[in-house]
Amino acid sequence: MQQTLNRDTAVNLAIFALLVATALGAHLAGNGFTVTLATKAAIFGLAGVGLNLALGYGGLISFGHAAFFGIGGYITGILASHASTGTPVLSLPFTVMGSNEMLGIWPMAMLAAGLAALVIGALSLRTSGVYFIMVTLAFAQMLYYFAISWPRYGGEDGLSFYVRNSFPGLNTFAPIQYFAICATLLAVALVFTAVVTQSRFGLALQAARQNSQRTVAVGIRPYAIRLTAFVLSGMIVGLAGSLYADLNRFVSPAMLSWHMSGEIMVFVILGGVGRLCGPVAGAALFILLEHVLGGISDYWQALLGLLLLAIVLFAPGGLIGIVTKRGRHA
Amino acid sequence: MPEPKLNEPILEIRGLRKSFGALAATDDVSLDLRPGEIHALIGPNGAGKSTLIKQIVGEIRPDAGTIRFEGQVIDGLDAAARARLGLARSFQVSSVIPDFTVLQNVMLAVAGASGAVFRFHLPALADRKLTEPALFHIEQAGLAGRHLVPAATLSHGERRKLEIAMALALRPRAFLLDEPMAGMGLEGGRQLTAILAELRNEAPILLVEHDMDAVFALADRISVLVYGRIIATGSVAEIRANPEVRRSYLGEDA
Repeated sequence: MQQTLNRDTAVNLAIFALLVATALGAHLAGNGFTVTLATKAAIFGLAGVGLNLALGYGGLISFGHAAFFGIGGYITGILASHASTGTPVLSLPFTVMGSNEMLGIWPMAMLAAGLAALVIGALSLRTSGVYFIMVTLAFAQMLYYFAISWPRYGGEDGLSFYVRNSFPGLNTFAPIQYFAICATLLAVALVFTAVVTQSRFGLALQAARQNSQRTVAVGIRPYAIRLTAFVLSGMIVGLAGSLYADLNRFVSPAMLSWHMSGEIMVFVILGGVGRLCGPVAGAALFILLEHVLGGISDYWQALLGLLLLAIVLFAPGGLIGIVTKRGRHA
Repeated sequence: MPEPKLNEPILEIRGLRKSFGALAATDDVSLDLRPGEIHALIGPNGAGKSTLIKQIVGEIRPDAGTIRFEGQVIDGLDAAARARLGLARSFQVSSVIPDFTVLQNVMLAVAGASGAVFRFHLPALADRKLTEPALFHIEQAGLAGRHLVPAATLSHGERRKLEIAMALALRPRAFLLDEPMAGMGLEGGRQLTAILAELRNEAPILLVEHDMDAVFALADRISVLVYGRIIATGSVAEIRANPEVRRSYLGEDA
C-alpha cells in the first residue's frame, strides 16, 4: 500500500514537473506561444482538478461545471471592464467598484462560483444518476442563455477587456510570469485536493460514492457531504474560469456552454478519474492533440473521440492508470 | 458494558403499520428488545421482516405507530441520526465500502459515530482517534491482521465479520442484524454463532434469521411474523410448542 502511494506521488510530481519544464524550456527558447499553451494546460488542468473532486472522488457526474467556469470568467471580465471605465459594478444596495487586481478578483470569482454551486448542488443532489446529469446540464444551459441575452456585458459577442489584470510585483503580461501564477494556483489546488481527500471528510465522500446506504448506516448523511464537495469543486473551477478569462482577456457565453462542461469532463476521463494529477495530464494531452492534430486536420476531434473511446474501454484509469498500472482508485 | 435500566426495553415498538397499496406489510406490530437479550424475529419469506427492519432503522417511514429507543421517541429522526444514537445495523446482503481497506471501513464507522465528519485537514490514516478504536473493533470481530486488506477481496465470512466490526464501532446500544447467517456454510455459521453470543455482552440483538439452528441456539425470545402480523412471541420452548407457529411456519416436523 505504501509502495503504490509512493508511486502515485512520484507520477503526480512528474506530471507537474513536466508541465513546468515545458513552459520554462519554451520560455528560454523564446517561444512565447508554447508558454501560453502550457498556461492554458495549467488552467484547464485546474478546472479538471476541481471537477475531479466532485466527479472522481464523489462520483457526482456533473455535466454543468461550465456554469462555474463561466461565472468565474464573467466575474473577472465584469470587474475588469468596470475598473477600466471607472464605473461601479453595483450601486445599490451597496457600492461595488470594478477591480483589476487578481488578488481581489479571485476571491470574488470563487465566492460567486461557490454560491452558484451551493444553489445548483442543493437542488440537483436531490436526484441521482441520469437525472443528476440532466439537472446540472439544465442549470448551466440556463446561465448560458442568460449570458447570450444579456446585452449589458456583450451578450452573444462576449466581453473583451484590453489589459490583463495585475498581480503585485509581477508583470502578468509576460507569458512566463502569468504561467507561474497559474501553475502555482494549480499546485495549491492539487495539495488542497490531496489533503481533503485523505481527511475524514474525504473518507466519507469516497464512501458515499461507493455505497451510500452503508454510509448512512454508520451515521453519515451523504447529502451534506456531497453538497460540500460540490461547492468546493465549483469554487476551484470558478478560479480556473477567472484565470482563463485573464489569459484571453475575453469572456464569452462559450465558457458557459455544455461543450465546455464536456471538455472539462474529457480532461478528467483522459487523465484518470479520481487520480490527483489525472486532470492535469488529461488537459495537457488535450491541448497537445488540439495543436498537433489540429494542425493536420480540422477533424482532429474525431481522433480525440477515438482516443477517449479507447481509454474508457481499455484503460478506465486513464493515463495515470496506465502509468501506475492500477485500474481503480481507492 | 453500559448499565441498563432494569426491565426497561432498549427498543420499544408500538402499533407499527405500513401498507404498500392494499398490502399491509406491517400490520400493528409491537415488539420489545430488552437489555442483554437476543430477540429473534422469524417468519416466512414475504412476511414483512425487511420492511419492519427498514422502519426501525429509519429507511422508510411507518404509516402509524411509534418507536422508542432508550426511552426516546425516534420517529422524527433519519437513518443517519438513529445510527449515531447507537442503533447498529447489518445488512441482509453484506454491505461494505469495496475499495476501502478493512481498516478504512471501520474508521468510517468510528468517524460516523463521532458525528465529526467535517474535518478536512488531518489525514484520516494518521488520526489515532480513528485508527485506534478501529483496530480494536477489527480484532474484536475476529479480523486481526487483516486490516490492510481491501474489503472487495475479503471472503464472504470475513465480510460478515467486517460488518460486525463496523457495527461495534458505532458504540451500539442495540444491534439489528438482518440474516447474518445467510450463505455462511456450516463452519462459518458456527464461528458466527459464537461471535453473536459474544456480541450480546455489548448490546442486545434483534436478530432476523432463517437459520433455525442458530435461532434456537442463540435466542432468548422469538417473535414470529406472518403476513405483517406478529402471531406469537415467547421463549424458544413456547414458540416450538405453539400450534399456530408450527402450522404457519415451522412445519409439522419442527
